[in-house]
Amino acid sequence: MTGFPILTAILMSTVFGLLTILLIPPERTKLVKQVSMFWATVGLILTLWLYFNFDHSKGGLQFVERVLWVKSLGIYWFHGVDGINMPMLLLTAVVLFTGVWTMWELEYRAKEFFALMFLLVAGVYGMFLSMDLFWMFVWYDVSLFPMYPLISIWGGTRKEYGAMKLTLYLLAGSALILPAIIYAWVQGGAITFDLFELQKIGFSLLDQKILFVMLYLGFGILAAVWPFHTWSPVGHVAAPTAVSMIHAGVLMKLGAYGILRIGMTLCPQGLGYWSDLMALLACIGIVYGALVGLAQTDLKYVIGYSSVSHMGMVGLGLATMTVSGINGAVFQMFAHGVMTALFFSSVGYIYDRTHTKMIPELGGMSKTMPIASAFFIIAALAGIGVPLMASFWAELLVFIAAVQVFPVGGIFAMVGLIISALFMLRVVQRTFYGERNEKFGHIPDVSPFLAVPRIILIGVILFFGFFPKVMLDVIQSAVIPFVGSF
Amino acid sequence: MDAIFKDPVLLATVVGTSLPFLSMAVILIFTRHNPMLSSRISVTSIVVAAVCALLNLAKVAGASHPFRFETAWMSSGNFHLTFGYYLDPLSALMLTIVAVIACLVQIYSLGYMSGDPGYSRYYAFQSLFAWAMMNMVIASTLLQLFIFWELVGLASYMLIGFYYEKFSASQAGKKAFVMTRVGDVGFFLGIIILTLGFGNLGIPDLNNAPGTGTITTGFITMAALLVFCGVVGKSAQFPLITWLPDAMEGPTPVSALLHSATMVAAGVYVFSRIFPFFAASPNAMLIALAIGTVTMLLASTMAMTTYDLKQVWAYSTVSQLGMMVMSLAAGGYFAGVFHLTTHAGFKALLFLCSGIFIHEYHTNDMRVIGKQGGRKQLVPMICITVGALALSGVPPFSGFFSKEAILGALNAQANPIWLFAGLFGAFLTAYYSFRLIFHLLFPKGGIEEKHAVHEMDSHGHKEEHHGGLFWAMAVPVMILACVTVVLGFAEHSLQGYIMAGGGAVKHASTAATGGAAHGVVGHELLVILGISAGLVGIILAWFEYGRKGASRNGFLSYFPPVWKLFDARWYMDAFFRWFLDTAIYSGLTSIFTRNDRRIIDGGIDGICFFTETGGRLFSFMQSGMLQYNLLIMVLVAGLAMLFFIV
Repeated sequence: MTGFPILTAILMSTVFGLLTILLIPPERTKLVKQVSMFWATVGLILTLWLYFNFDHSKGGLQFVERVLWVKSLGIYWFHGVDGINMPMLLLTAVVLFTGVWTMWELEYRAKEFFALMFLLVAGVYGMFLSMDLFWMFVWYDVSLFPMYPLISIWGGTRKEYGAMKLTLYLLAGSALILPAIIYAWVQGGAITFDLFELQKIGFSLLDQKILFVMLYLGFGILAAVWPFHTWSPVGHVAAPTAVSMIHAGVLMKLGAYGILRIGMTLCPQGLGYWSDLMALLACIGIVYGALVGLAQTDLKYVIGYSSVSHMGMVGLGLATMTVSGINGAVFQMFAHGVMTALFFSSVGYIYDRTHTKMIPELGGMSKTMPIASAFFIIAALAGIGVPLMASFWAELLVFIAAVQVFPVGGIFAMVGLIISALFMLRVVQRTFYGERNEKFGHIPDVSPFLAVPRIILIGVILFFGFFPKVMLDVIQSAVIPFVGSF
Repeated sequence: MDAIFKDPVLLATVVGTSLPFLSMAVILIFTRHNPMLSSRISVTSIVVAAVCALLNLAKVAGASHPFRFETAWMSSGNFHLTFGYYLDPLSALMLTIVAVIACLVQIYSLGYMSGDPGYSRYYAFQSLFAWAMMNMVIASTLLQLFIFWELVGLASYMLIGFYYEKFSASQAGKKAFVMTRVGDVGFFLGIIILTLGFGNLGIPDLNNAPGTGTITTGFITMAALLVFCGVVGKSAQFPLITWLPDAMEGPTPVSALLHSATMVAAGVYVFSRIFPFFAASPNAMLIALAIGTVTMLLASTMAMTTYDLKQVWAYSTVSQLGMMVMSLAAGGYFAGVFHLTTHAGFKALLFLCSGIFIHEYHTNDMRVIGKQGGRKQLVPMICITVGALALSGVPPFSGFFSKEAILGALNAQANPIWLFAGLFGAFLTAYYSFRLIFHLLFPKGGIEEKHAVHEMDSHGHKEEHHGGLFWAMAVPVMILACVTVVLGFAEHSLQGYIMAGGGAVKHASTAATGGAAHGVVGHELLVILGISAGLVGIILAWFEYGRKGASRNGFLSYFPPVWKLFDARWYMDAFFRWFLDTAIYSGLTSIFTRNDRRIIDGGIDGICFFTETGGRLFSFMQSGMLQYNLLIMVLVAGLAMLFFIV
């Protein structure tokens, strides 16, 4: 290891954030927020520096930090970035930064809230950065537990139920992942948790089949794979704004990332065996999520189901095992993360002011708060795949690959495009157009200060929509060799 | 970057097609609260764009080969996409049409929209619309074209639903977006199939592909028909017609733009853009011809029953688009493009004139406008008549020349049914156009006091007189009327311009028409038939609505079921509504929602319930009370003994 350990520094920015927040007296909420903002900014700056210094023409794992930690078990402090986790890091940094800013008005137990949030994000960063199975699992679980208190204390609708359901579901996933990791470790000779050394060892076909399906189901629960998706809308609805943003924006990506990074790296042939199932579930998820979304009357449920639909797109891309498919899947993970963060962020503002997120009670919001409404409408347009927004490119690539590999499933999934347009525009029409509800007529529009985080998210969506090359070059520097290794 | 400043054509293209985007961004971000400045920015940028487009039109005429500029946009594996411009005579012509009409409409809107609370927003979306459409026109690859095609759809969604407080407006915007999306998914699939099967989405490459024999006719048919799905959606062909008549919920200048040069013209433009590719598949051409014919006839019948000024023109747009599709599908490449050009002029004219009436009388009903003395408004009255004459194909107005060209193309088809359908369509068009004109000119029961009715105010302001602003509306209308009068005589020079250097186009056109050597009827007879179809329609309308003592009931009113059928748009809307309600909302959606709540969640909750109840049950055994423990011990021991004994 030479030079400045930037990856550890990124991880530590959240850990230091957590520690410094813990040192502040709880009544000084303003200071808590400022400190949170500071550490989130540090993380963002470091990640941006990393992104622009990542050499996509070289590809491979860069900025590697690898130190043996426990010799007898073969556990390494092993960090590195390649084209697959680079976008995820950027996503995490952006969503944390905007999430903290969005929660600026929080007064109730702010210290605990931001401390738990930083703990959650520490887990997410750790999972994305680590290349060691042991640490990956540890960080993964670190990111799950804070969800329970975050939702059950600061949450809204049916918060205890939502929190419990979410935690149980995700732990059920963990219960599949842990044995799979131990199994892989044992089959690899019980000498190393290093992902790439295990990959080199190579598993027998039977092992790969067993391992992959365990990892797929375990991580798939977190990625809201149909039919294990019902925790996700309920959890989103119950969670407070910034937690929804991080949860839907970043945490769900952990699931897809786990399938890609661990499952597909270790068991490519296992994926080959299960890919039909994976594509089937993904296609059902795409159409099903959009159709159920049509019936929802709660703004957050709507977003929750659109997430199910969009995450189906990620699954479909991964299942194709082609360069375009996986490029599209990773791009979709990023694009969907930013888009959902924008969704929840704008709904959060409306909910904070009107104390309702029921669509029939709102109506005509464009008149009352044009800018806040514009944020939601832009997110909705990104959600239905309007071109020159990041998710369009992702969907394009996924569909190209899907029609090539699974023609029937791919064409079936494209029907989802029509339904998702219908349901998003329906929501927009009922919430933001029409006669305004005079009950909310006096509510001020979003202030410039609170508009900034949303504008940043819109900026990211549009930037990568106009210049997809900036993202795709990075992603495919890892994906092309990855697909070549199948 | 350097290349941009070295090449004047490229510079003009970049500047002209990017300025409206900048103008939109500036308006949305900075000048939202300054309507005056917003409109100035938008109008200035579109005027510059129009000038650039005209410069390019002239430059392309002198060029020996089409102008092409490309730069890398994205790549994924072996899939590469470029962002670029492709300027050949067709795109240069279309770019000019779009820029000029958008420019006139924006100037007109200075008057029409003045005082509207959403003035800045209106100009921002107008800029977005112009930007998307211009970039679509000059796209160098089919995928880039599709991207801007979708943005055109987005801009129309925003503008149709401009008066968003009105439920009908937001409904119409949504309907337009979703219905065109249905076709767009087909288009999208077509692009994906072309990517996978052919691998090159460049428009000239696609057009040259059939000649090289690298792809089979079956593949071409499939790809062409899928792309045609997009045309069906965007150009409101059967069965996706009904969004367009509803789209007039937007402000009238928007309808003018939407119905003439942008949105709906996009579909026909794409058809002509990949015409040589399309023409390589006779089956695809035949299907397109049939769809175009059905569309034309259906829409004409719908226009015969409505009293809404804008709706008549909306249906007539659909039927004229059907005619363009027929023409292209019959191999009449130039005729289709020429009709697109003339139609853009006179349809914008018709809508803008109607807009003046609507602005003045605050109603869309032709009977009311007539009664209140619509004919006293000389400028719009004369201009709307010019437009209607052109639409009816009366010489020497521009519509006559292009309709004649289309009939010529249909005449070259072996089957005479297409020609007769075309003539019948021309007759219906003339009939419903002049039904409207005579309603305005000779109102039933004479003219009443002007300004008697002020309800149905379709746009949110109620000023009585606008003084100088009237000229902002009148001048564009007069310009368009002049164009409509003279454009027809430019047919031959335009033909020379469009067909110059179009080797693939010429070849495909000749192949599709079968050389145009034989016709069903002779050339002179065709001209006579064409003119008389229009005149018969006008005379019938005169007989029923114009002459003194006319009944002012169409002949259709003697057949109430037919009238009802036409009035209900052949029950197409009712069918879509029924399908959406039964199959989606109360079908799949509710089944799946119940599945989520009851079966999946119910199952999980059930497991939790069992775990909890089980825990409570067993905790009973672990209560720590000696008696219970003893009891259970005795019971277990007893059961065990029983087991061993028996």
